[in-house]
Amino acid sequence: MAGPAVHGSDHRRWSFMKFLQAALTGMLLGGLHALMAAGLSLSWGVLRIINLTHFGLILIGAYLTFQIASSWHIDPILTLVVTVPALFAAGAVLQWGFDRLAVTELNSLLLSFGLLVVMVQAVSNIWTADFQQMTTDVNPYATGSLSVGRLVFPSTTLIAFALSVVIIGGGHQALHRTFIGRALRAFAMDRTVAAAFGIDHRRISILVAGIAGGSAAVAGMLFALSTALTPFTAFEWFGIVFAVVILGGIGNVVGTLLAGLLVGALSSLASVIHSPATEPFVVFSLIVVALLVRPQGLFARAGGH
Amino acid sequence: MRAGRSAFTTGLWAFPLATAGLAVLSLYRESLGLQVSHLSLLTLVLIGTIQATSWNILSGFSGYFSFGQAAYLGTGAYTTAVLYGRHGVSFYLTIAVAAGLCAVLALAIGGLAFRLRSLRGEIFALLTLAVPFILGALARTSRAIDGGQGIPLAVPSFPAQIGLFQDFLYLVSLLVAAGAVWAAFAIIYSRSGWALAAIRDAENVAEGLGVATFQYKLLALVASAVIGGVGGSVFALYIGFVTVESVFNLNFPLFVIVMSVLGGRTHWLGPVIGAILVVLLQNRLASSHFESWQLIILGGILAILIAVAPDGLMSGVRRRPWPVLGVLLGTTLILWLARAPGQPLDWILIGMLVAAAVAVWPGRRRRAQSIAPAEPVDVEPSSPRSSAPATAGSPPFVSTPTGAPASASPTSESTPLTPAAPQATPAAPATAAVLVECRKVARYFGGVHALEDVTLRIHEREIVGLVGPNGSGKTTLISLLCGSLRPTRGHILVAGHDTRALAPHRVAHAGIARTYQIPQPFASMTVRDNVAMAVMFGRVPSRLTQARARAEQHMELVGLGHLAGALPSALNLHQRQLLEIARALAAEPKVLLLDEALAGLNPAEIDSAVEVVRRVHRAGTAIVIVEHLLRVVNQLATRVVVLDRGTVLADGAPRTVMSDPAVIQAYLGRSGARA
Repeated sequence: MAGPAVHGSDHRRWSFMKFLQAALTGMLLGGLHALMAAGLSLSWGVLRIINLTHFGLILIGAYLTFQIASSWHIDPILTLVVTVPALFAAGAVLQWGFDRLAVTELNSLLLSFGLLVVMVQAVSNIWTADFQQMTTDVNPYATGSLSVGRLVFPSTTLIAFALSVVIIGGGHQALHRTFIGRALRAFAMDRTVAAAFGIDHRRISILVAGIAGGSAAVAGMLFALSTALTPFTAFEWFGIVFAVVILGGIGNVVGTLLAGLLVGALSSLASVIHSPATEPFVVFSLIVVALLVRPQGLFARAGGH
Repeated sequence: MRAGRSAFTTGLWAFPLATAGLAVLSLYRESLGLQVSHLSLLTLVLIGTIQATSWNILSGFSGYFSFGQAAYLGTGAYTTAVLYGRHGVSFYLTIAVAAGLCAVLALAIGGLAFRLRSLRGEIFALLTLAVPFILGALARTSRAIDGGQGIPLAVPSFPAQIGLFQDFLYLVSLLVAAGAVWAAFAIIYSRSGWALAAIRDAENVAEGLGVATFQYKLLALVASAVIGGVGGSVFALYIGFVTVESVFNLNFPLFVIVMSVLGGRTHWLGPVIGAILVVLLQNRLASSHFESWQLIILGGILAILIAVAPDGLMSGVRRRPWPVLGVLLGTTLILWLARAPGQPLDWILIGMLVAAAVAVWPGRRRRAQSIAPAEPVDVEPSSPRSSAPATAGSPPFVSTPTGAPASASPTSESTPLTPAAPQATPAAPATAAVLVECRKVARYFGGVHALEDVTLRIHEREIVGLVGPNGSGKTTLISLLCGSLRPTRGHILVAGHDTRALAPHRVAHAGIARTYQIPQPFASMTVRDNVAMAVMFGRVPSRLTQARARAEQHMELVGLGHLAGALPSALNLHQRQLLEIARALAAEPKVLLLDEALAGLNPAEIDSAVEVVRRVHRAGTAIVIVEHLLRVVNQLATRVVVLDRGTVLADGAPRTVMSDPAVIQAYLGRSGARA
C-alpha cells in the first residue's frame, strides 16, 4: 500500500499529538486517493465501464512527469501542460474502443485488466522495475514542509491535497452547473431516455473518459512529486482506491472526496496504533461494512443512483 | 450445451483412461525417449490446469468473476510450507489440511459476500481482489507463518520405483489435475451445473423458479477453493521455496484468467486447452529471451479475446472440431517435415496457434446472433415503466388526463370501463381456499412509499386483474408476492407460510411463480431446457430426462412446442413472453403472477395470449394478471383489484369495480372532482 509517511511506531507512548498528526496526514493523503478514485468512479457510474486502465494512466502520468521534469529541468507541476492533453487523448481513445466493442460492465473489468497489465509491463520495460525519483534540484517541493505548532506537513502532501480538492470541487460544480454536466447526469440515470432527448452518448462518453484521463495525469504528477515510482505500485493502489470508490458511492464525485478523507484517516491511524500491516484489514473491513449497511455507498443520498 | 447422460457415462471410463495414459509418460519416460525438461513443462501445464479449473468452476460456471485465485494458491502453499517445511508434518497430510483451510476461507468469503442482497458481480470481483493482499500481508508479518524470509521445502519421501523427484511431482500434479477436471465435469453434468448456468444467465429468475442460488454459489466457491488449495500444496513443492511474492502476487490471477478465458469459460475442458497453450507460449517466449514481453503478450491476449471471442476456443473447437484438429496436426507435421528452424515444441506451438485462429474465426455464426437481442429495446416505450422504485418518483397519472391505459387500448375507449358481455362467473370467494394473503403490507424504497396498507386475498381458481396507473405499485406487489422483495411492514402468507421466514426460492416451492415484464430467458439454454429448468428445481425435484418430458407438455400448452430446440435469441417478443409463461407454469405454481405478459403485442398476438391464459386457468391455476389493457382484464378477470398510489382503491367483481366513481377518477383524472 502507498503507506503514509508516519514514523515512530516503535515507541508506544500514548500521545494525542501523534494520533492527530497521523489522522491529518492520512486525510491529506486521502485527498489524493480521492482524486484517483474520482475518475474511476465517474467512468463506472456514468459510462458503466470499470476501467482498470485508469491505474495505468495514472502510472504513465507519473512517469511522464518524472521523465519530462528530469530531462528538461522544468518545474514538475508545469509538466501538466503536456501530460494532461496526452492522457486526455489516451482516455478518450480507450473509451472509443470500449464503445466500439460494446463491452459489458463485467467484461470491461477483464478487458481493462488485460490492458492494465500491458501498460504496467510496458512502463517497466521502458523505465525499468527499479525505484525512480526526481532529484531535489528538479523537484523544489520535495524538501519543504509546513509546521503548525508541533504538527508538520510535507509540502508535497499539501499540494496534492489542495489540487485534488480543487479538481474534485470543480468537477462537482461542472456536473451541477453546466449544460454538459446536466446532460451527463441525465445520461447516467437513463441512457435510452437521455438519447431520446438528443444527448449523443458517444461524444459524452469520450468527453467523460477524456476528463478522467486528464485527472489521472494530475494524480500521476502528484505521485511523482511525493514518492519514488515503481511500475507495480499500480496494482497496490487497487485496494484503497476501490474502497474509496465503493464507500463514496459509485459515480458520486463528492462522495469519493469524503470517503477518501475517511479511509485515509482511518488507515493512517491503524498503522500508527498497530502496524502498517493492519492497513489492508481496515480498508477491506470498511468496504464490507459499507456494503452491509449502505450498499449505495456511505455518502450517497437516499434514492440516488 | 450439455449433451446428457450418455456423455457423462462416457466420461466415467474416459477419465481414468486419459489419466493412465498420461501417467505412462512418466513411468516409461526413458523408453519413450522423453526428457526430464519436457516432463517439467507438462507438470507446469498440469499445475496451470488445476488453478484454471478451480477458477472456472466459480467464475466460468456461475459468472461471478474472482480476482482472488492467489488467495487459495497462497493458503494451500503456506499450509504445506509451514506444516511440512517447518514442522515436519507428512506432506500428504498437509494437502488435506490445505483443502480444509481453503474450504473454511471460502465459506467465510461466500457466507459474507453472497448474503449481501445488493452484491453485484462487479463488487464481488473487487472484493476478491482484496483477499490475496490481506492474506499476503498477514503471512508477511506473522512470524508463525512466514515473517518475511520465505520457507524452503525438502523433497518428501516417495516410493523409489517412481524414479526421480520430477516424476513424482508430475504424477502428483496429474492426480490432482485429473481430480479437478473430473470435479468440473461432474458439476457441469449434474443439477449444480444447470443451476450455475441459470445463475450466470439470469440469477433473479433462477431464484424465482426455485433454484437455491445461495447454496449453489457457495458450493461452486467451496469446490473452487478446495481445488485451488490442493493445487497450492503441489505448487509449493514445485517451487521448493515459498515466499509471499511467489504465491500472493497479481500475475498469477492473470495467468489463470487468461487460461480459462482462452480455453472457454463455460466448458469443463476449456481451462485444460488454455493451460496447454499459455504454458507452452510462456515457455517458448522465455527460451527465446522475450521474457519482458511475456506479460505484455498475455495481457494483450486477454484484452483481444474478451473483445473478439469472449466464448473462448472451446466453443470454436466444438463448432468445427475436425478442421481444427486437422490444421493443428497438419501445420505441425509440415513444419516437422520441412525441418523448420527451432525445436519440436516451437512447431507444436505454431500448429496450436494456427488451429486456435481457425477455431475463433467468425465464419457464418455471427449473423444469427446479432439480430435478436435488439428486440426488447423496442418494447420499452410501449410497456409502461411501472418497475417500482424508479417510477414511484415520476409524475403520477394526474399529469396525463386521458390515462395511459385507456389510450393504449382503442376498444376500451368507446366503452371505457364496462366489462365485455360474456363474463366468466366470479368464483365464490367464500367457498374457495385462500392461497395468498396480504395483511397490511407496506413497502418503502427510501422515502418513497411504493405500497401502503395493502390487504388482499387470492383464492383458488381465481383470475385477479391487478390494474392501476403507472407507479401505483403493481410490480412492487408482484415482487413482494414472489418473495424477491420483503415487505417493510405487514405480512404476506403463501399457503399459510409467512414469506419473511422463507428464502425466495422457497416461496417458489410454496406455490408462487411469476413472469417478467421484459422477458429474461436463460440465454445459454434452448427453449426446452429453459422450461425444463423450472421442472428440475420445482417443488418435487426431478431428473433432467423427466424434466424435459414434462417441459414438452408446458410448451404445448402455450404453443411453443415447435420451437423446443431453439435458443432464446432466435425468438420474437411474443414467443419470449410465451416462454416466460411456460417456464413459470413448469414450476407448477398454485398462483401464477403475470406481470404485463402481453405488453407490446399486436392485437392478434394478444388474442392468442389471452387464449393461453384461459387454458392455464382451466388447468387449475389461480392467476394474478397485471395488465394495462382493460379489454383483456375484462375478458379474463373474475375479480379486479385497483391499486392507486400504493393503496387498494377497489377490490371486487369487475363490473362493480369498473363503475366505481373513485376508479373512474383514478383513470380519467381528478380534474372534475378536485378543481
